[in-house]
Amino acid sequence: MSATGPECREARLHIGAAPHELPAAVQSHVAGCAACQRFLDETRGLDGRVRQALEVPLTRFRERAAPRRWYAMAASVVLALVIAGGVWFVRPQSALAGEVVSHIEHEAGSWEQTGRLPGSDFAAVLEQAGVQIDLSVPVVYAAACIFRGHRVPHFVVTTASGPVTVMVLPHEKIRMRSRFSESGMHGVLVPVNEGSIAIVARNGEVPESLAAQLAGGVHW
Amino acid sequence: MNRAPRGTTGTTPFARLLEMLRPDLLRFASWLARDRSVAEDVVQETLIRAWKSRDELKDQAALRPWLFTIARREHARLYERKRLPTVDVDEVEALGDPALATEGDAALDDLRRAIMQLPDEYREPLVMQVLGGLSTAEIARELGLSQPAVLTRLFRARNRLRGIYGLEPAEDVE
Repeated sequence: MSATGPECREARLHIGAAPHELPAAVQSHVAGCAACQRFLDETRGLDGRVRQALEVPLTRFRERAAPRRWYAMAASVVLALVIAGGVWFVRPQSALAGEVVSHIEHEAGSWEQTGRLPGSDFAAVLEQAGVQIDLSVPVVYAAACIFRGHRVPHFVVTTASGPVTVMVLPHEKIRMRSRFSESGMHGVLVPVNEGSIAIVARNGEVPESLAAQLAGGVHW
Repeated sequence: MNRAPRGTTGTTPFARLLEMLRPDLLRFASWLARDRSVAEDVVQETLIRAWKSRDELKDQAALRPWLFTIARREHARLYERKRLPTVDVDEVEALGDPALATEGDAALDDLRRAIMQLPDEYREPLVMQVLGGLSTAEIARELGLSQPAVLTRLFRARNRLRGIYGLEPAEDVE
């Protein structure tokens, strides 16, 4: 599409650059120039599609693991921020805990499960994440969830003190074992190999015996 | 956890606003970085800085461009400070990044691919404008360019996309 005169060229520049932010002089020119009006209509149509293209669902952005590792380490000296119903400053390990709690909150129904899950279903979930667990307590819920860009096992077991949620996080290395409390949940992050497991209870603290069993029985 | 104080003036609404804008911010950073992991780091830093500087924001209506501006600076800072490797478009394509994935709208995928392949100097102002809602004057200030230079970059960015959209490219500007 060629512009016919200097005014048209100037108008095309503004239209092509910012079709929704036109100076009054350009608007005035466009009102009297059919070719520039057509150019404006076309460009606004294109812009709608560009916006649509840019507003790609976040799930479509895939994660590459390498760049995150060094930065996560650097973040050990920087406060980390997690937003989940609020904003708070935390150390990276606590940020991890916060994200675990947030994730669990989004699967609130998992706490209510009572029927024992068939072993094959649980095995299928573990297999998807490349994890193995030796576990003696009954599993009542299991899902292979995407967490921080990785598929991880998220399951609930029943204990004498109530349901306990476990997330196995082979990709989340932590420095040390730590307890946390958030949104009415109490949990513990336990380092395992080059990763960690998050164990969270709703009714009081996580039983130590269960934490020990999980920490000793998980492999990937 | 060491939460920021709640109940103080503006704290909770500000937190809610940040939470509301977080997905768009992550999307914006992902388009800048062409890498979700880097984008998440950028967003995390951005939110920390935004929280620390929240008193500087006088007009909450300007929150969106303010946040996106911080994100762009964090992205630039990250590359400067850590000398991250630039992302090769062919590699991005091989990894199946979003702009290049298929979702049933082939034309939209073509457009995403074209945007992803725009040179940084064109893609950055376009994303700032369309996703971030920054005006050309704000983009110019942020990028340290004259406003005519920003107009030219934005014009050329869209002109490259016209062909993908089935339109005849316009005459280039000087």
